[in-house]
Amino acid sequence: MAQHILNAVALGSVYLVFALGMALAWSTIGILNFAHGATFMFSAFTAHVITQQVALPMPAVVLIAVAAGALIATLTQVLAFGPIMRRATEHRAAELRILIGGIGVAAIPLAIAERVTASAPFGFRGSTYQAQVFEVFGLRMTTTVLVIVVAGIGIGVGVWRWLATSRQGLALRAIGVDSETASLMGVDRATLALGTMATSGALAGLAGALLTFQLGAIAPASGDQLLIKAFAIVVLGGLGSMGGVIVGAFVLAGAETFVLAMNQGTWVDAVSFGLIFLVLLLRPQGLFGRKEVRRT
Amino acid sequence: MRAPHRWRRLRRATACALAVVAAVAMSGCDAAQGGIATQEGIPEEIKLLGVRDQTGPVAYAGIGGARGGELAISEINRSGFLGDGVKLTIEEIDTAGSIETASAEMAQATADRTVHAIMGPTQGQQAATVAPMVERAQVPTIFTQAGSDGVVVNDYTYRATAPMASYYDLATEYLADKRLGDVSVLYNATFPTFAEIGKGSLPKQAEQHGLDIISSTPVQSTTQDFTTPVRSIAGEDPDAVVMLLTEPQSVTALTQLRQAGYDGQVMATSVQGGGNLTEAGKHGEGVIYPTDFSPALTSEKARDFVAAFQERFGQKPDVYAAEGYDGMWWLARAIKASGSASREGIKRGLQQVAKEGFDGAMGELTFEGNDMRVPGVLVRWNGTSEELVSRGGAS
Repeated sequence: MAQHILNAVALGSVYLVFALGMALAWSTIGILNFAHGATFMFSAFTAHVITQQVALPMPAVVLIAVAAGALIATLTQVLAFGPIMRRATEHRAAELRILIGGIGVAAIPLAIAERVTASAPFGFRGSTYQAQVFEVFGLRMTTTVLVIVVAGIGIGVGVWRWLATSRQGLALRAIGVDSETASLMGVDRATLALGTMATSGALAGLAGALLTFQLGAIAPASGDQLLIKAFAIVVLGGLGSMGGVIVGAFVLAGAETFVLAMNQGTWVDAVSFGLIFLVLLLRPQGLFGRKEVRRT
Repeated sequence: MRAPHRWRRLRRATACALAVVAAVAMSGCDAAQGGIATQEGIPEEIKLLGVRDQTGPVAYAGIGGARGGELAISEINRSGFLGDGVKLTIEEIDTAGSIETASAEMAQATADRTVHAIMGPTQGQQAATVAPMVERAQVPTIFTQAGSDGVVVNDYTYRATAPMASYYDLATEYLADKRLGDVSVLYNATFPTFAEIGKGSLPKQAEQHGLDIISSTPVQSTTQDFTTPVRSIAGEDPDAVVMLLTEPQSVTALTQLRQAGYDGQVMATSVQGGGNLTEAGKHGEGVIYPTDFSPALTSEKARDFVAAFQERFGQKPDVYAAEGYDGMWWLARAIKASGSASREGIKRGLQQVAKEGFDGAMGELTFEGNDMRVPGVLVRWNGTSEELVSRGGAS
């Protein structure tokens, strides 16, 4: 039982790092970035290409993926989302165009990775890092799992508290509540949006590197599967609540692990998403969302 | 105001003349491009179309098939197999992993009267969607991969890939020979080929060979992390684990299985061939799998194919390339056997060759109806390449 809980915590930590970036942009600057999965994949792919040329330790690989993720997300904001938002006459129209724009942006890195790898799995075999297996109180885990759990929970709580207490976090939340009023109060929306997207991309890159180390390899399409899960996590936790995202990630991972432990693997998606559906029926705003639409 | 009668007649005559000129020009154009594909006999140019994924999630299968076919065409043309000056030509059209694109491209391809035959999509769902279409248009179509039901369903649909289940008994035979009696199965139950083996043929073959399946764990195509199922399997400590998973899944499952402490035999599938286990590193070493083709095969045909492929593309061929190669040779033999490159002639020829069978890169090829069968071979991944385990079958 304890081993299953540990497995769920490890899986939830990966979901959390991935979903945090998406939730951050969605709940503050109102960008539901459908290119987040492609950013995650292409960051790991960039690190994969570099490790094929140079043998690098884990921290260097993670740093490359984080930098690549931040760069991709920044470019996405500058070249796609920024112009869409400037040209949109109303918020709802902008949201829809951003959603479609994100799908379009995602197709580019996906096509490049598929072309280069012929859609074969890729990983960090060129890295000098080798996962070590150890046991604590009868629980078997790897050093990769340990890094993921510490990073996932640490960054999750860190982002949550930063948004709740820091000056910039408060400014971001103000944009999430009412961007026009926030601008009148002196909040530089454009700069904060750029910074938020860069942070969101960096988190996608971090998730890409950590998950690739954990799984051994990912495929170009792996980001799409995580994107759906992240979407579900944000909705389950409640849009606008970082605490909700943390809880949502572990609830989804726990449900999946439970179904797998019961040897009912084909029911994983049905049970997990059914559970989310049930929660939303009883509490449409999600577990920690507020009834009125207020972001973060 | 009505035009005078004389002018109306003149206009009608001009329109008729233009229509005749256009029809003559089009037929001339057809003839210049290799003749209308319904005419009997063998023209100087036999035009084929490859409608399959060159990009998308399973691009490797389409690219491999196209390369194998390209090599076969160069050999067929160079050797004058179909007669002096007769050339096979092929144009590849990318279906990009999309059923809609495959359907649209096939509709266009089947409407082109200069196309003699088509090498069809490799994805099962795409292939099943276009199969009724090729029957309506009466264009013989050879598929590779496309293991789903509903693909080989009429006289115009053919498949140059043997179902995995038809040679998977090589795996159970091996496990029985090595007295690896207790077997745990981990399979992707939402992938039709693996579901059929995991739930259907494998339990039957295991029973026949006296193997005991102590657990059977289904997962989905969306499953990315295998920590929980492999921990359970490692706890059972079976003699062997049969792993029926897709490429990225198998790398993860193998890595996590070894990290969970299992060091026994892992039996996989041909999906793990073609270097797909490379990313698993040391965790992939020693994995055994039955496959329809391996570059390690020692038959003369296989060795010649591997050498020619390496010379042309600078790398060893995978199963997809071998299937594309043998599929193209099936088509060429069909044209020769029927003495006609017309669509009907090719159809007759494909059926005739299927009745007789032939020797290909994958070994001695036989057929069940329009569906290819191969002897298969058991190989071991040593971390960098495949090596033969069994010396029977196709080796």
